[in-house]
Amino acid sequence: MAANSFKAFFHHRFDTWLKRRVPSRSHHQLSRQNIFIMPTKFGFAYLLFVFLLFLLATNYQNNIIMLMSYLLASFFISVMMHSFYNFSGLGFQSTAKHSGFAKQTINVPVTIIATKQHFDLTLSFAKQPKQLKQSKQSKQQQQKIYLEQCHAGNTEVVLPYMAKQRGTVNIGRIKIASEYSFGLFVAWAVLDFSHQITVYPQPKKINANQYRLAGQDSQNANSTNYANQSAGLDDFSELKNYVLGESRARIAWKQFARGQGRYTKHYQSQQGSLPWLKLSEMPSANLESQLSYLCYLVLEYSHSEQRFGLDLTVNGSSSASDVDKKFAPNVGFVHQNACLTALANFKQRARES
Amino acid sequence: MINNTDQTLSFNLPKNSAWLLWGCQLVNISSLAAELSTWMLAILALCLCWQALLLSRQKASNVSPNVGSAIKLDAVRMSPFILMLLAISGCIAIAVSARSFGVLIAMVHLLTFAYALKAFEIKKRKDFYQHSLLGVFLLACALIFKQDLGFSLFILLLLVINLTLIHQAFAKRNSLFNASKTVVILLLQSSLLAITLFVVFPRLSPFWQVPMANSAKTGLSDVVSPGDIANLALSSELAFRANFKGESIPAYSTLYWRAMTLENYDGRKWTRANNNEQGQHNTKAKQQGFNPTTSGTAISYQVIAQPSFQPWLFALSVATTTDPKLVLKQDYTIQSTTIVNQLKHYQIKSYPDAPLALSLSQQSRQRNLAIKPGSNPKLEQLAVDLKAKHPNSLALSQAILATFREQKYYYTLQAPMLINNSLDQFYFDTKAGFCVHYASSFTYLMRAAGVPARVVTGYLGGEYNDESNDASSEDNSSQGGHLSIYQYDAHAWSEIWLEGTGWYRVDPTAAVDPERVSKGWSSALLAQQSELNSDFISLYRIKQLAWLNTLRLKLDAINYQWTRWVLGYSAKQQYDILKRWFGQSMPWKTAAIIAMALMLAMALFTLFYWLSGAKNSKHKVSPAQAVYNQCLTALAKKGFTKERHQTTQQFSLVIHEQLPHLSADFTELTSVFECLHYQQYSEQEQLALMAQLAKKVRDVTKALKSVSAMSHDMKKVSSITNNKKYKNPQQ
Repeated sequence: MAANSFKAFFHHRFDTWLKRRVPSRSHHQLSRQNIFIMPTKFGFAYLLFVFLLFLLATNYQNNIIMLMSYLLASFFISVMMHSFYNFSGLGFQSTAKHSGFAKQTINVPVTIIATKQHFDLTLSFAKQPKQLKQSKQSKQQQQKIYLEQCHAGNTEVVLPYMAKQRGTVNIGRIKIASEYSFGLFVAWAVLDFSHQITVYPQPKKINANQYRLAGQDSQNANSTNYANQSAGLDDFSELKNYVLGESRARIAWKQFARGQGRYTKHYQSQQGSLPWLKLSEMPSANLESQLSYLCYLVLEYSHSEQRFGLDLTVNGSSSASDVDKKFAPNVGFVHQNACLTALANFKQRARES
Repeated sequence: MINNTDQTLSFNLPKNSAWLLWGCQLVNISSLAAELSTWMLAILALCLCWQALLLSRQKASNVSPNVGSAIKLDAVRMSPFILMLLAISGCIAIAVSARSFGVLIAMVHLLTFAYALKAFEIKKRKDFYQHSLLGVFLLACALIFKQDLGFSLFILLLLVINLTLIHQAFAKRNSLFNASKTVVILLLQSSLLAITLFVVFPRLSPFWQVPMANSAKTGLSDVVSPGDIANLALSSELAFRANFKGESIPAYSTLYWRAMTLENYDGRKWTRANNNEQGQHNTKAKQQGFNPTTSGTAISYQVIAQPSFQPWLFALSVATTTDPKLVLKQDYTIQSTTIVNQLKHYQIKSYPDAPLALSLSQQSRQRNLAIKPGSNPKLEQLAVDLKAKHPNSLALSQAILATFREQKYYYTLQAPMLINNSLDQFYFDTKAGFCVHYASSFTYLMRAAGVPARVVTGYLGGEYNDESNDASSEDNSSQGGHLSIYQYDAHAWSEIWLEGTGWYRVDPTAAVDPERVSKGWSSALLAQQSELNSDFISLYRIKQLAWLNTLRLKLDAINYQWTRWVLGYSAKQQYDILKRWFGQSMPWKTAAIIAMALMLAMALFTLFYWLSGAKNSKHKVSPAQAVYNQCLTALAKKGFTKERHQTTQQFSLVIHEQLPHLSADFTELTSVFECLHYQQYSEQEQLALMAQLAKKVRDVTKALKSVSAMSHDMKKVSSITNNKKYKNPQQ
């Protein structure tokens, strides 16, 4: 217990120092400010070896072996400079916000900007996710990206992040390390890009039998709408004049071929009145499953370009904080993202109080 | 190039690196090959062949097709059971033969065996590291046995190869040449600090006793029979070197380097008198040491003796020294306190005019008069006759020498064998022999005639090498070079004791072959030697070709300087130099010097990287781009500039319209350039495409010459029409 608190204290101090020295930015350039360099285990073994050679030379009073041990000792210093200069000068760039679904690998792209050739780069996340430590299924604790060689120019690498739970996660710093050359030194940098990942709940497909969709805002609506399994653009409604920019798939080619002019076909799908996706109506008892079902539905509706609204209130009673729990019926990419984000960040009222 | 594996779990090497590992083992083991026994060499060769077999059978694995063919080093693995069996049997074999080898050589055997076997077991990266460090340690061990300049440079080369191997593990795509270039540059950059440390870092005395090399003895032995030194004389190995430090070198005929005196004769061979006298010396004189009485002028010189694994050291007569590691013997010879198993440097002050042992003890006299009666009856009779004729000892000796000179006596390497080493047979019948024959029979005669006499062995003369003459010697008459004494200079002569003079040197060889004593071997002798010995290029032939001889002398001089300055840089020498430079407060100044050297090295390193970085920033374009730009500039001269906003495709369309006869070539050029610029190719394909691109550019520039430069207006018009075209891309 004491050890843990000491460790925590130490980490805290180190983190504050690190924040001051390597502040968060979207573009980092490696220089003396943010590079750390230390001998590896092999480096220490090498030093021991050089000392052993020195002992050998002294005991045998052999000058040439002594010269060799001095040469190897100063070689150690040269390799330190060499490793440092291989590492420094690299530029890294990454956008701050990313999103993805739970229990899936979310890719965080990082762009490497180099002016010369660099060797042996390893990228990974600096913080070990606490959940991974407990799982014994995966042998590898962390996914690391390894670059053997990095040519001059821009290279894009993708760091995979396995998201276990929904929510907004600060994944912390990215650690870039290099053991070039000879493996004697490890030069590393922990860079903060203020990465924030919004993890949406894992979409779970909902069974048709379990599901009833409330048609309207009012209580007694009982529409005959079923879950639309396929995106239906069923019925042809009208022809309109072709406007420049419309999809070529919509053009009424028959009419065009006949010389009647350019028209585009418009369809209508059968929709009931604006549906509300309500948390309270999800079949499962588990909150997470409910959110998962909602997520799936949000995705389906957005994909079929139908309007929907999202209601995440628990008891049906409105209060001041309901403003971010109810999303007015809308369609589009922004609406979808807003809904998914709300689902990701949903916290049960009981927990808050 | 980008893969997602955890590197520490399994260790992969690309194919050429795996072969480099194999080659590394081969050269590391070969550096120690002279010290290993034949059966061990056979086992190692077997191991290496097995590895080579496994390597060559390994097909390219599917780990990362981008890296060429990567080999998982577990392909080279044997089953651990077989490996264990082999290891144990090897250890037992080494333990059994350790007794005959000595501890050091047994250790070396064990090390090389472990090194060869470890290569079968490289699974993880730390195994690879251990293996590499073991290889470098083997190189260091090789330096225990041989340290001359050539070998040291060879070891340096092997060190570079070993380091390149480690480097390759981290830069797998790099060609071997680039990797070794990086290593060599790094070593050069570290040499500054290394040399400073070597000069300045305090030299410590040995921490504990270590097993020394225990090789076969070379050089003079303390048991001499007729014909022994003739055998030794077939060798052209270096025995020792002497440096007179700018003083004039004594004449050749006075350079009698005494090694040991042989006073016991049993009728067949001469041996050292090491019982009574030495025993006395050890108990009583150990504290005092033997102090020879000196008189006359002194010559100071430094001798560097090659390892002979015997205790004899060489000096001109009546030698004194202040070196505590040397022992002065009662018979005016010098020995080392320990066996000479490494190069030994020692300082001697000799008084050539001082007499040796003006008084002779009764014991000594008895010993030096003892002959085995009946072993050589004819000689005994002759001695009695001569004594009657010449009562004076000196005259007697002159008479014997006159016999040698006037009668038909031959000095030859191929003396006929003597039955029972009979000196009678030599003196009266065969009359042909080498130095021991003459010295032996002379000594016997003198003893039989009642004059105490003994045989002295050592070396005579030495080759003067002026090439190592330091430029700093201002005096023209002084000879700054050094003397090299080889095994073929080994010699045996005689000393007789005269009342009032002490031990007086008489060399019968001077009577038989005066050239030998005044200048060295006659060409006849050299020719004889070259026929008899097994040298690849005999010394005789080398000495005949002037330029080859000069080359040999130059190499010898370089080796000498190396031996003297680097190998001989002892603690005392360091102390002297540092005292001269720093005066007081040596430790602080030493530390300061080391720190300065460190910072200077790092500063130079930084400078080096700034310069190479500046060089890099100029080369931002890839070679393909550079070639394409060449073409563009050529076209621009004719009036066809590619606008910044135009893509390569657009520009090729422009060319297609303006210069139709160029268009085919130029379109192809553009497409090749785009391939090179935007796609990844292997090295070979890249080269092929670059060649194609270059060819196209040449064709285009050639064809361009026929086009006259377009006027400025026409160019404007063409660019306007071009812009109109690209308004509606969908048409």
